Parts: sequence; structure tokens; C-alpha cells
Amino acid sequence: MISTAVGFAQEGDSTATYKKRVLENTEVDFLASYYTQEGDNAAVSGGVGTEHLTNVTPTVVVSIPLNADDVLTIDGEVSAYTSASSSNINPFDGNKPADPFVASSGASSSDTWTNLTGTYSHSSDDRNNIWSAKLAVSTEYDYFSLGFGGSYTKLFNEKNTEVSINANVYLDNWKTIYPFELRPFENGGNGLNNSLFRSYNITGNQNYSPDFVALDKTNRNSYSLGLGFSQILSERLQGSLALDVVQQQGLLSTPFQRVYFKDVEDSFIQNFQLADDIERLPDNRFKIAVGGRLNYYINETFVLRSYYRYYTDDWGIRSNTASIEMPIKVGQKFTLYPSYRYYDQTAADYFAPYEEHLSTEEFYTSDYDLSEFNANQYGFGVTYTDIFTQFHLWQFGLKSIDVKYHYYERNTGLTANIIAAGFKFVLD
Amino acid sequence: MIKRILFCFLIAGYFSSCTAVKEYEKVKINDPDMVLSTKGVDRFETNFQAYREAAAGANGGKTGGGCGCN
Repeated sequence: MISTAVGFAQEGDSTATYKKRVLENTEVDFLASYYTQEGDNAAVSGGVGTEHLTNVTPTVVVSIPLNADDVLTIDGEVSAYTSASSSNINPFDGNKPADPFVASSGASSSDTWTNLTGTYSHSSDDRNNIWSAKLAVSTEYDYFSLGFGGSYTKLFNEKNTEVSINANVYLDNWKTIYPFELRPFENGGNGLNNSLFRSYNITGNQNYSPDFVALDKTNRNSYSLGLGFSQILSERLQGSLALDVVQQQGLLSTPFQRVYFKDVEDSFIQNFQLADDIERLPDNRFKIAVGGRLNYYINETFVLRSYYRYYTDDWGIRSNTASIEMPIKVGQKFTLYPSYRYYDQTAADYFAPYEEHLSTEEFYTSDYDLSEFNANQYGFGVTYTDIFTQFHLWQFGLKSIDVKYHYYERNTGLTANIIAAGFKFVLD
Repeated sequence: MIKRILFCFLIAGYFSSCTAVKEYEKVKINDPDMVLSTKGVDRFETNFQAYREAAAGANGGKTGGGCGCN
């Protein structure tokens, strides 16, 4: 009788002090993707030329519970790409006739982007308040970025409602790399006396004399503020709204993207047209994106996931994005993910195709990522889940495997394929 | 634009005043496929879209900065 009473007392005490850990065990995600694209509107060669690109991205994400309330997440990503259009920053490699539709073999044909992000999050005892802070460092041959930010999330209404606010700052710096033929025309350059023009004959307008002024800014600062709201609407339905406001300042153009003017005579070396200038864009951009998600649990087999976003900025771009995904559970361990995404955008005020800009304009680009287009994306994925983590690698149990494939096509002709995979392990 | 955004958040506020779903009623809501964020493996898809498209943000992905993208 007495022992039973003590048992109840102990149970009561433990219930009062028990706090479920935010993250029970260390989790490790091994992720990777392979991306390839094809197109004929390379921005490096002024809107005409191969856009062939491949990219491999191995990634590791480690989430470590520091105690019951705090989690540290380390995210390391390496993105290695080869790009035919980037290779044509210098198309005069001497191996093959220079041509915007043929990749060159220069140093700029490949590069590696490396990112390391650390995020620390803290949850209150009742799990209704979550704070997080983030620090990110990224580097590439011609690019360095330092980012930091923080967020606060508040849950209430019996955890049916969630509001959040986040702010991020990215301080980026470019090493300006210009198209090879323009470099002799920088201030102090030797112009047509450069060895490039002594090694190759210029055809078309032989008096090639671009009015090239080097960029005076090499930094890009991005400040973003995000608001989030999510709500459980019924036992089967929940949705969310997100608002992101972004202000960017500094070098917002890409220094090695060429532009050809229709009021300037054309000059060529072999099959490659020499640049009239690099793209010029304003040094400010203000963006607003509003998005909403709505997920509906149809039954034990089907879930419907939907998303819509409206985007606008002060460069004249307006965009709609809508996507739908329907997870289909097949047995206890497998889920299939067919998906479809539609995207459209209007052109930036500063965009015009090859040879349609005038040299008298202040801003210009022939980057088709800033053109008017619509795109369709079709996807399919499979997830394997083992809640018992029976397969082990050292002390880590395999929790899930995700594989997803997407095919993307624009009405401008660009197509892309991306396959991604993820393995989630949990420390025993 | 500002009015539209405010309208959306007002609608959201209206829904937040609905009767709360109790913890023991959240079996379906807690299904892994019902989460309102994207999965880790989806980050690559979001990243390439941030490079190839002018629009970004409001999807849990990049909004600008920290990459060579727009």
C-alpha cells in the first residue's frame, strides 16, 4: 500500500518535471544532387550561345541536441559545376575556333561553391517559443559571402497557431572577372595592342573599340525580413502564409555577362562576337514575395500538398508560382511523390534579347533568367522510411531514404533535369 | 500590394480564431507529409530555381544573397 503510494508520488513528480527533448538524438543527413541543363541563350555570350551546365552537390547536415532545449545544426555543402557558357568568358583558348555554341577549355569552365552554415536554436520549456541564430559562410573563386540572421517563433492556441519572424543579412563580395576581350579596354589597358588582337584577326568591324568602364562596386548586401503564419484549420487541413521582403544593394549584375548593341557595328574573332559591354543593372533592388501553403490529409493513402507564391520587385518583374504534390503511401515503408509546378514571370525593365539594346540606355542585360517566360516542372519521388532504423552504419541507424527527380522546361527553350537523394541517419 | 498582404494576414487571423484541434486529434495533422515546410532533399530544387528564375522567397529557400544567384 505504502509502496504503491510512493510509486504514484514518484510518477506525479516525474510528470511534473519531465520535458520532452526537442531532438532526441543526433541526426545526420547525407544529401546529394546532380543537375544538368541545356539551352541556347547564354547570358555570358549576350543571350546567344550554349547554356550547357552540370552541377553536383554533395551535402552533409548534422543536427546535435546540446540538451533538452537546444539544438546545433551544422550544414556543409559543396557545389561543383562545369559550365559551357562560363567557359566562354575566355573563348579564345586556341583549341577550337571560338564559338558561343562551343565550350572553351579555360579556367572558368568549372568552379566550386562551398558553404558552411551553423544554426543554433533554443526552445522554451513549454515549446511555445523558439529562438534561433544563424551564421553562414560561402566561397567561390570569384565570390565570397558572409551571412547571419535570426528568427523567433511563437506557438499558441494549443499549438494550433504559429507566428514567426526572421531577419537575415548577407554581405557578399565579388572578384570582378570581365569578358576576356574587354579587359584590354579597362582604364590603363593597351586596347587593340593587346596580344589577343595580335594573335587573332578581327572580322566585321576591324576597329573594335568598346566604350568599357570597369565596375566601381564589388560588394552586394542583401537584407531580408520574413514573416510567417501557420494555422491548423481542422483535423485534416492546415495552411501557412509567408511574406519575405528583401532589399539588395551594390553589384547586382554579373561582371562577365556580355551585351551586344544594335547601334554598334559587330566585331568577331572566328565565330565569336566581341562584347560591346557587360550587362549593367541598377545597384538597388527591392523584392516582395508572398506565399501560401495548404495541405490536406485525404485518407491514409493520399495527402494533397499545394503552394502558391506571388512575387514582385522594383525591376519590373512580377511572377506567379503554383505547385501541387500528392504523396501516395504504398505499404508501411514507401511513399511516392508525383508533383507538378508552374512558374511564370514578366521581364525585367532592363532585359532585351541579343542585339536589341541601344548603347544609349543606362541599364541593359540579355540574361534570359530576367526575361519573360513560363516554365513547367514535372517531378517524381520515392521515400523509404524505417521507423525502427534496422539498417546500421556504425552507430547510426538508417531512418529514411529520399530520391526525387524533376524535369524542368521553359518556353524559351531551356530544359533541365535534376535528381536528388537523401539518407537520414539517427544516432542510437 | 500592401492592402493585399494585409488582407491575407487578416484572413489568417480569422482562421486562427477557429476552435483549436486538440493534441489527441492531431494524428492526421502530424503525418510527415502534412508538414508545412519542404523536405531536406527538396533544397536542391529550390536552389536551382533561385538561380534560373527571377523570383525567390516565401518558400523557405534563398531570398537573395549567399549565392551567385539573383
